[in-house]
Amino acid sequence: MIGVGKIKQYSNVLDKPLNKGKQEVSLSAFAFLFSELVQYNQTQVDNIAELERRLEDAGYAVGARVLELLCHRERGNRRETRLLGILSFVHSTVWKILFGKVADSLEKGTEHEDEYMISEKELLVNRFISIPKDMGTFNCGAFVAGIVRGVLDGSGFPAVVTAHFVPMEGQQRPRTTILIKFAEEVLRREARLGG
Amino acid sequence: MIVCVAIVGHQNNPLYIQSFTDGDDALKLHHVVHCSLDVVDERVNNPKKSGPMLNETYLGLLYPTENYKVYGYLTNTKVKFISVTTDLDVKDADVRNFFRKFHAAYVDAVSNPFHVPGKKITSKTFAERISTIVKAFGLSSAG
Repeated sequence: MIGVGKIKQYSNVLDKPLNKGKQEVSLSAFAFLFSELVQYNQTQVDNIAELERRLEDAGYAVGARVLELLCHRERGNRRETRLLGILSFVHSTVWKILFGKVADSLEKGTEHEDEYMISEKELLVNRFISIPKDMGTFNCGAFVAGIVRGVLDGSGFPAVVTAHFVPMEGQQRPRTTILIKFAEEVLRREARLGG
Repeated sequence: MIVCVAIVGHQNNPLYIQSFTDGDDALKLHHVVHCSLDVVDERVNNPKKSGPMLNETYLGLLYPTENYKVYGYLTNTKVKFISVTTDLDVKDADVRNFFRKFHAAYVDAVSNPFHVPGKKITSKTFAERISTIVKAFGLSSAG
């Protein structure tokens, strides 16, 4: 988990329990590493789309491994075969293990049958990043979109996942939405399974 | 005594095969593993109504051959673990325990950022861990 902050304060250092260590990574360490990742990729590419693709590929590798890890840790886990099942799995379990909390909301898209959205008021990876005006609609949440794509792909739900900013009235920073568009075969399978 | 373990990916591509006896022909064991893949697919596609609940990871005894028993385990990402053993009286709990440790070692090997998913697992640490687990299984079931 990144950046889970609440540490219980002990009055006496001898009272601290001897445990195997926190299962957390410091937020600053991750922010530093992520900024280096973005900067490194920025020097290698010529345009924004390529940068987004690279961040997404990096996230994809993480997603595949997170899926393996979660499937092993969750004892008695059932393999998700239904669409809603895998979406709630991503929305709660994956988010909890990565960011220490569940995602803010999960919605079904209104225009198309195959679109779903996970939204977050402030993505953890974007917390220390501000996008310059000339980069347009680039969103470093492409990394998180890659993670989601990795998890979905590994579970047998091929999808196209992208990250978008959605401006909200009354708030300075826009909300981030991860848009998940499932492939044709997923919808067909879902219909066949009795959706 | 476990004579062979294998990890097969979700497109039935082999990710890791290791045999632990010198005597038997390694090729024959590979063939046994290959045949057991069909049994796994059959179990996955036609779940028995009265059998274990759907989506259970441990598949149990796949099929007994002349002098081997083949056990299977299926992870959530459709990666299959196969173990071939020559014991006649292995306890179910022992095999489940073995697969649990095996799964832990596999997750650690896959978390390696240099590992390409879909390619064979080439990590030496992983190979050593697997041989330790196999030896521990041999000792626990004999004792």
